[in-house]
Amino acid sequence: MVSITVDNLSLVYRLRQPWSLSRLDRRLPGKQTRISAKGRHSFVTALDGVSLSLKSGDRLGLVGTNGTGKTTLLKVLYGIYEPTGGRVAIEGRVDALFNINIGFRREATGRRNIELRGLINGWSWQEIEEHMQSIIDFSELGDFIDLPLKTYSQGMAARLAFSVAVALEPEILLMDEWIGAGDQKFQEKAGMRMDELAEKAGIIVLASHNNSLLKRTCNKILKLEGGRVAAFYDNIDDFEE
Amino acid sequence: MLQKFDDGLSDMRAGIGMWRVWVALAGEDISDQHRRTTLGPLWLLINYLAFAGTFVFVFRHGDSGATNYAAYVAIGLFVWFYLMETVNQGVSLFLREESFIKGTTLPLSVYIMRLATQVTIRAIYAFAGCLAILLVSGVDLSPAWGWSALGIIVIVVTTPAVIILCAFLGAYLPDSQFIVSNLMRLGMFLTPVFWMYEGAGGVRGAFYFWNPFTYFLEIVRAPILTGEVPICALALCLGIGLAAWVLALILFAWFRRDVVFVL
Repeated sequence: MVSITVDNLSLVYRLRQPWSLSRLDRRLPGKQTRISAKGRHSFVTALDGVSLSLKSGDRLGLVGTNGTGKTTLLKVLYGIYEPTGGRVAIEGRVDALFNINIGFRREATGRRNIELRGLINGWSWQEIEEHMQSIIDFSELGDFIDLPLKTYSQGMAARLAFSVAVALEPEILLMDEWIGAGDQKFQEKAGMRMDELAEKAGIIVLASHNNSLLKRTCNKILKLEGGRVAAFYDNIDDFEE
Repeated sequence: MLQKFDDGLSDMRAGIGMWRVWVALAGEDISDQHRRTTLGPLWLLINYLAFAGTFVFVFRHGDSGATNYAAYVAIGLFVWFYLMETVNQGVSLFLREESFIKGTTLPLSVYIMRLATQVTIRAIYAFAGCLAILLVSGVDLSPAWGWSALGIIVIVVTTPAVIILCAFLGAYLPDSQFIVSNLMRLGMFLTPVFWMYEGAGGVRGAFYFWNPFTYFLEIVRAPILTGEVPICALALCLGIGLAAWVLALILFAWFRRDVVFVL
């Protein structure tokens, strides 16, 4: 059973200014801040008391202004950041699309990048071979697949990234903003693929500032403010754009 | 604390299990570095031969009249280039991999092993040049070469620990990249890579005896050149390697999860 349970999650980390021989910046943070000082050290409260529960088929939209903790929450769910308080329980295979440049090599061809992503995700060479053509077809990159990634436009790179991510058949897919890349036609195709994924009893968590996209894609909305939950809309119709 | 160690060891195990990933990425790193060149990684061999040839021709008569000076320099440079590459690349490792570390859940040890593999592959090109010089300079193959092979194994096994130490140093003290690269440049002249110590004491003696790099060079060079087994140097290198691993595992366990916040 695919599920995400987050209970009273907090993430506080020490603001480690790397030891440097350059002069220290001794300016104090403003009043509206989540940076606190304890002794000689500063701490950032990135997430504070966040709780949520998602089950199979849920598509959660994360909203909030820049710096409210959307990406941080996604990274905690993905396992990049370890929470400092609370509990995160995830059932299901997770994959994430944070940035189309992450996890890809600019100098390598699209085909080689598919191979490398497959290896990173634990596929055997045989599995990579089996998935290769369907990924190329879905990405609509055609002959460009054998050109270096650095020659791709943002939209083409996004198509490749999305095609690889969904080919991995994650049960939980975390996405951060990136879906705005790519042309309208591909966005529609990607939307349909996400629907399919959610219908297969998966979970999607999508952070975006594009409220109309979220209304179209998601069935629940979590609004973050200052690292805390400001509102949770269990019914998408209650969410005002 | 024990939990951190346990997590650190789990990361190591998971990373080593992903050998296909770090071997593939290390191969990509090397082909990226030479992608637009005609000779590709063969430049590594040419670079090595150019250095070795220059040192042999410039210093052979002035610095030492030893008959196998070419072999002395060939082995010295081969080991020194490997050590220098490990330290210089290690100190900037986490900074170079920032986007992967912040965006994927790959075990941190994958990056360590990737760099260890990369420097080993690069060293193979220098090794080919080193072998060629040894053969041309008339050094005979002998059973003592087995001890040199053991010396190389000791160095290779110590490499991931050194990379871990350097990588954390570079992440937490960015200035160290420049400090370390300058020290390594100087180190080539302060280590008996191309000069010989003939027991006269003085400054040269101090640099010979108090420099740990000396012993890593000797465990590979002495058996081939003299046929003797450098027991003391080997024991010292094993001790340094063990200490490096203990310190590396402590740092790895303690700072592994925090490193993402300092990059």
